[in-house]
Amino acid sequence: MVWFTDRHFFLLAVLVYGLSTLYSVFLWRKGFRKDDHVNYFLLLAAFMLHTIAMFRRGFSINHCPVNNLFEATMFIAWGAVVAYLVIGLLPRLRFLGAFAAPVLFAIGVFALMPELDPPHGPKPQFTGALTSLHAATILLAYGAFGLAAAAAGMFLTEQHDLKFHKLRAVLSLLPPIQRLEVITSRLALMGFVLFTIGLAAGHYLPRSSDADYWSDPKVVWSIFMWIVYLALLMSRWLSAQSSRRFAYGIVAAFVFLLLTFWGTNLLSPLHHP
Amino acid sequence: MNVVVIGLSHHSSPVELRERFAFAESKIPDALKSLRESGLADEAVILSTCNRVEIYAVITREPAAAFAGLKKFLETAQAFEEPHRAEFYSFAEPESLHHLFKVACGLDSMVLGETEILGQLKDAYALAQRHGHTGARLNRAFQRAFHTAKHIRTHTNIQRGSISVASAAVELAEKIFSSLSDRDVLVLGAGEMAEKTARALLSRGARSFVIAGRSFERAQILANEFGGRAVPFDNWTVEFEKIDIAISSTSAPHHILDRARLEPLMKVRQQRPLLLIDIAVPRDIDPAVNFLENVYLYNIDDLQAIANDYLKQRKDEIARCEAIINEKVKPLLEAKSIQPHAGMDEHGLKPAPAES
Repeated sequence: MVWFTDRHFFLLAVLVYGLSTLYSVFLWRKGFRKDDHVNYFLLLAAFMLHTIAMFRRGFSINHCPVNNLFEATMFIAWGAVVAYLVIGLLPRLRFLGAFAAPVLFAIGVFALMPELDPPHGPKPQFTGALTSLHAATILLAYGAFGLAAAAAGMFLTEQHDLKFHKLRAVLSLLPPIQRLEVITSRLALMGFVLFTIGLAAGHYLPRSSDADYWSDPKVVWSIFMWIVYLALLMSRWLSAQSSRRFAYGIVAAFVFLLLTFWGTNLLSPLHHP
Repeated sequence: MNVVVIGLSHHSSPVELRERFAFAESKIPDALKSLRESGLADEAVILSTCNRVEIYAVITREPAAAFAGLKKFLETAQAFEEPHRAEFYSFAEPESLHHLFKVACGLDSMVLGETEILGQLKDAYALAQRHGHTGARLNRAFQRAFHTAKHIRTHTNIQRGSISVASAAVELAEKIFSSLSDRDVLVLGAGEMAEKTARALLSRGARSFVIAGRSFERAQILANEFGGRAVPFDNWTVEFEKIDIAISSTSAPHHILDRARLEPLMKVRQQRPLLLIDIAVPRDIDPAVNFLENVYLYNIDDLQAIANDYLKQRKDEIARCEAIINEKVKPLLEAKSIQPHAGMDEHGLKPAPAES
């Protein structure tokens, strides 16, 4: 099956993410009243196809598959789906999948754009253990931020229903909003720690002498994102910021990250020497 | 052989009549013994609860004749001498088996889908079985009814959700707070509904209660009952710093809590979530407080709407439950001829114990 490449496996995974998104709409309309087994298994099936795609790509280049935008984007979604599958073992948190599936589907569709996956030359664009650590931790951090945004979306939906006395708030099987708030904070913190490690590893990567590290768009953007997440977490812990504003902040930060990640990557001389 | 049932329940008779036919548990074994010795029934179970008194029996004669005898037996056993009453209902197969299954599943209960009746039915059956008054027919029918009740509980929504205002309030609290075990509750006013709601929260593990009533003595009595503490009514705002849930049911003719009063209190609370349950009429809490961040206000109508929706959901499940019951009763009707076991008579029954 040589003609069936890693991209085909990833395409199948994205199609299953799409199915999961459709099923999530159904769950939403039904008020989240039934246990979310179907969606969990759909995302599990997508995860398997996704993992096969990553493995095949990794073996074909003999490196962790984080060497171009396609692989990086695939890695972000993979990190998020792994985190969801672990969290979803708890029945009441399984509905998080309904909020994560549309994000995974959108990331997957974007990753499949052919321009993001130019053919590798004799060697990948990025190599070395420290490079792999830098790329993997940063992409896993994006995955954690994505899942935090999904949890925040779930919190905002349920909080809105409770505030406006929608029967769905009580009749649904969604977890209590206080627990969702804790999950959002922890996922954001996990993402922040990974992001910090990834940025620190990136700082020590070898680079050409003429590269201007501190004015590189990707570095500036990364530091900006790091400050945004730090500010969100600090304001949550130190100033008793309202849960709703924190959740909106987490969603907005991730949307901004998604919209600007690829652009800054393409503009960065450090990432395109 | 035919399984029949005769009795009266909350559907057919008022409590004044039901209580006259109720059996004390200690008297049931003797009643069953005399029922079998009279030749009216080969096997029998008596179910006596606050909502129903029923005899389930296996008979060999024509049901119409048996019903008259069983009714006479009930009247004689309880020394009931009034003229013919229409409150009794009686069913022969297959309706009798359907009725038994519906009772076991809570479909015939006053609170649709409740589970207490299943325990009572199991106790009644165990009592009759222990004294040797059940045989192959009733054993099979009751075991299957219990199994069906479990199946229905697992596979339908007939028992899901709260259908009382008090338990709807608890469900609401459980949608906001991760756990009720570290939540503190303030009860304003000492009305019956507030008491029920507080009791429901307590049963789900709420940590502490503070009761503020205009009558301090009444508040103290309630506080002692709940293991909480009473505070003078004028001091209740002081408690807002610590509590998570407030239930209000005073008889005040105006709002006792409004946005201007709550806003500074929320700052003191560092914006922790606050569930306000206003079950007073006229309302105690200004609806505008619901616009404050982290405040969730529900009044009696909101809670009633939740309870009604659950009830509707349960009613929607009745058809599904009845379809399951039909499926489960079918094999019982098909296997009416049962071989008696060793040591039992032709009805699969141990002989009635000798009178001591």
